[in-house]
Amino acid sequence: MTEVSLLSLVKSYGGAPALRGISLSVGHGQFVSLLGPSGCGKSTTLRCIAGFEEVTDGRILFDGKDISRKLPEKRDIGMVFQSYALFPHLTVAQNLAFGLEMRKVPKAQIAERVARTLDLVQLTPYAERYPKALSGGQQQRVALGRALVIEPAILLLDEPLANLDAKLRDEMRGFIRDLQKRVGITTIYVTHDQNEAMTMSDLVVVMFDGAIAQAGTPEEIYNTPSTEAVARFVGNANILDLPAANPGAGTIDLTLPGGASLTIPAPEKPAARLGIMARPEQIALTGAGQGHLGGRVTRRLFGGGYIDYEIATDFGVLAVQTPANVLADEGQAVGLLLDPARLWPVARDAAA
Amino acid sequence: MRLAEALLALFRVLVYIFLLAPIAVVVLASFNAGNFLTFPPQGLSLRWFVTFLQNDVFIDAIVYSAVLAALATAVSLVIGTMAALYYVRHAGKEAETVRVLLLLPLILPEILTAIALLFFFYQIGVGLEHRIALFTGHVLMTLPFVFLNVTTSLQGRDEACELAARSLGASRMTAFRRVTLPLIAPGLATGGVFAFIISFDTFGISFILKGTGSAPLPIQLYDYLRFNFTPEAAAVSTVSIIFTLAAVVVADRLFGRKG
Amino acid sequence: MSRRRPLLLIAPAAALIFFFVMLPYINVLVMSLRMPGSEGKPFDPGFGFEAYAQFFTQDYYLSALPHTLWLGIITTAVCLLLGYPLALHIATASRRWRGILYGIVLSPLLVGIVIRSYGWTILLGNTGVINKTLKDLGIIVRPLKLMYNDFGVVLALAHVFLPFMVLPLLSSLQGIDPAIGQAARSLGASRLTVFRRVTFPVSMPGVQSGCILVFVLAISSYVTPALIGGMRVKTTTILVVDALIDQFLWPFGSAMAFVLALSAGLIVIAFAMLTRMKWK
Ligand SMILES: Nc1ncnc2c1ncn2[C@@H]1O[C@H](COP(=O)(O)OP(=O)(O)OP(=O)(O)O)[C@@H](O)[C@H]1O
Ligand SMILES: [Mg+2]
Repeated sequence: MTEVSLLSLVKSYGGAPALRGISLSVGHGQFVSLLGPSGCGKSTTLRCIAGFEEVTDGRILFDGKDISRKLPEKRDIGMVFQSYALFPHLTVAQNLAFGLEMRKVPKAQIAERVARTLDLVQLTPYAERYPKALSGGQQQRVALGRALVIEPAILLLDEPLANLDAKLRDEMRGFIRDLQKRVGITTIYVTHDQNEAMTMSDLVVVMFDGAIAQAGTPEEIYNTPSTEAVARFVGNANILDLPAANPGAGTIDLTLPGGASLTIPAPEKPAARLGIMARPEQIALTGAGQGHLGGRVTRRLFGGGYIDYEIATDFGVLAVQTPANVLADEGQAVGLLLDPARLWPVARDAAA
Repeated sequence: MRLAEALLALFRVLVYIFLLAPIAVVVLASFNAGNFLTFPPQGLSLRWFVTFLQNDVFIDAIVYSAVLAALATAVSLVIGTMAALYYVRHAGKEAETVRVLLLLPLILPEILTAIALLFFFYQIGVGLEHRIALFTGHVLMTLPFVFLNVTTSLQGRDEACELAARSLGASRMTAFRRVTLPLIAPGLATGGVFAFIISFDTFGISFILKGTGSAPLPIQLYDYLRFNFTPEAAAVSTVSIIFTLAAVVVADRLFGRKG
Repeated sequence: MSRRRPLLLIAPAAALIFFFVMLPYINVLVMSLRMPGSEGKPFDPGFGFEAYAQFFTQDYYLSALPHTLWLGIITTAVCLLLGYPLALHIATASRRWRGILYGIVLSPLLVGIVIRSYGWTILLGNTGVINKTLKDLGIIVRPLKLMYNDFGVVLALAHVFLPFMVLPLLSSLQGIDPAIGQAARSLGASRLTVFRRVTFPVSMPGVQSGCILVFVLAISSYVTPALIGGMRVKTTTILVVDALIDQFLWPFGSAMAFVLALSAGLIVIAFAMLTRMKWK
């Protein structure tokens, strides 16, 4: 178990910055996800930690020791690649043994540890197969096993589920999470799928354009995003331009169109323009003329256990998600009820 | 439409015949029992192969060419593979420059390269002594073929495999030996066979840089053909063709089906 | 991971190319500017355009240049004409046939250039296979002149370099998704239209590199014109080798080689510009 700290990591490729000062600390045995859109620098961060990229500036500490100049093979990491990168000319067992051979572990011990790890990733019957002859999910588990068998200080995974179909992805998600908890290894996980990040992580780090936009628990990221961009990236978000007055003392007052007013917590950082975020499932439908806002249903999408509504209001079209038993027809006038405790002020994007 | 397609098919067959005819004719001629290159052959016989086997000049030439080709191939394989690794994995922005440089010996007229080398070696005072110039020329001629083949097989391989090996504790060298090398072995084999054949058959470089004494096979054959018309040359050619075919088959058996 | 280490990978190849290709070629250029030698010496001290003057004032040498370039252009055209249908055929053939046809196209490469040229002398000679057969069939009385002339040289050159046309064509054609052709036809295009509007334009890079490769190889080849043309077809390349190797005229031969390279370069550039303007 190892503690990982990134201290203002900067990486540029011939002048073009890919990382602009990443600072992050990951505690013993924590599962951290790097989440962000394509090209935001998630893989680059991981490759810097693994040692495949030389950092332009900043430091990487493992348990307080600076390892930013160490060769990748000296860093004691386990890495799982999106393409799995299994050695095609070696059997499953040989793939797992590779890292132990590099560490000059005695033969008998290698066999034993490989067997134990095969068991862990549930691949014992496939030990003598070549990677070609395995399904995607099995290959995935070989990659995991190969990274774990060396008992590395930390485990790095770069979009390991991206090549799997939806059902298998859900299965593997649980498998990886359980395995990580059981082994208790510090893990950094890269994904652009917010669902994956939310369900698996202790800590979610949202990145945009080479910088960290917000780091927090999945609940924090989802319920109290710091900016509009974060709010929109992790889940669906309605952002309302409500006139706000700030009486100080950590709260702000909102005035609703009907004249009613709400008091909600103030943002930590002052922002040029504030918007009020309400998640679709945090808005309730009531009869026309009731609630905080009025609107008209423009679309209704049945989703099984829930219904997604789109409702035209004075604040634009809002997304509302209700339990499946709340019914309103398309074209029907409805009232919207906001939950003051769940409204959250976010800094609006400059462009918006 | 039908007619046009039939004509096109006929045309293609003719072109395939065109490609094979001169080679087939040489092989057939080598089994000719007659004294001259007559066609159709006046009976089948192996007499010209016997004549050839008793002719030290050609035997020497074949051995000389084979040794030269083997050495040149060995050197090219090392240098070319290193260059291919650099080109595929590390070159970045200079990649195009590297590629053009490595392919220069292929793009530039061989005979002109030979002449340029001749002057150069004379002017640095080495001349054609010790066959250094000839050997250098052969390495140059074979290098692009190793480079091209290894490059192709490297590009077909996921770099992540090498990185995975590094993350598992393998040094750069070990990762190359244990992971990259086995994966690109087919490319190396193809490149090696190409290099061997090119060196075995190349004319311009050998012609200009051979110096005195024994000469590679194509040169002996050329000298012979200028004044002689017996089927012995055909026998020599047939043996040379069998030589190259054997190299291809062996390499294919060893590496072709794997990976 | 230091940045210096990978450079070691490229160092040997770079050194080889620099010292044994680039420097020697520059040396040839310098040599062409030296004074032609007297009294059996390859060159005299001093620099000037003497060698170029000699070349441009001797009709025997000068007239070979356009002839050589012309042979190169014709050979290239013949290769394109013969090679394109082959490449198209191979690109669309079934997997198994593709291997076999590919082998046939590559087979000339496995056989030395001397042997291939020799094969053509057996075929084209006055008493060669073709003339003999035609005579036996009573079609001709006196042998056709197939060798020791431009016809024979172009035929043999086309054979020798055809693989260099087919290979680039093939690699550009194989990049075409068959679905594109099917899509085009479903939109109502005829086969010919698909070829004209889709296949040919997409294969243009292959046509370009194939043509350039064959042209350069053809004008600078030595054995084939020497064996098939006898001493009757004089190409600039043959004259260059004569001048340099047999007559020891280093500056003169270098100047001639340089003029050949320069004019070939101009033709290649003109060709590249013409085809690009049309297709890009
Ligand atoms: N070797 C490189 N040379 C130049 N630029 C690079 C290189 N590698 C990455 N970049 C750039 O750095 C930025 C971050 O890339 P990175 O691969 O980290 O993105 P990512 O967040 O992993 O995206 P994805 O979700 O698509 O994998 C991108 O703009 C990319 O173009
Ligand atoms: Mg990535």
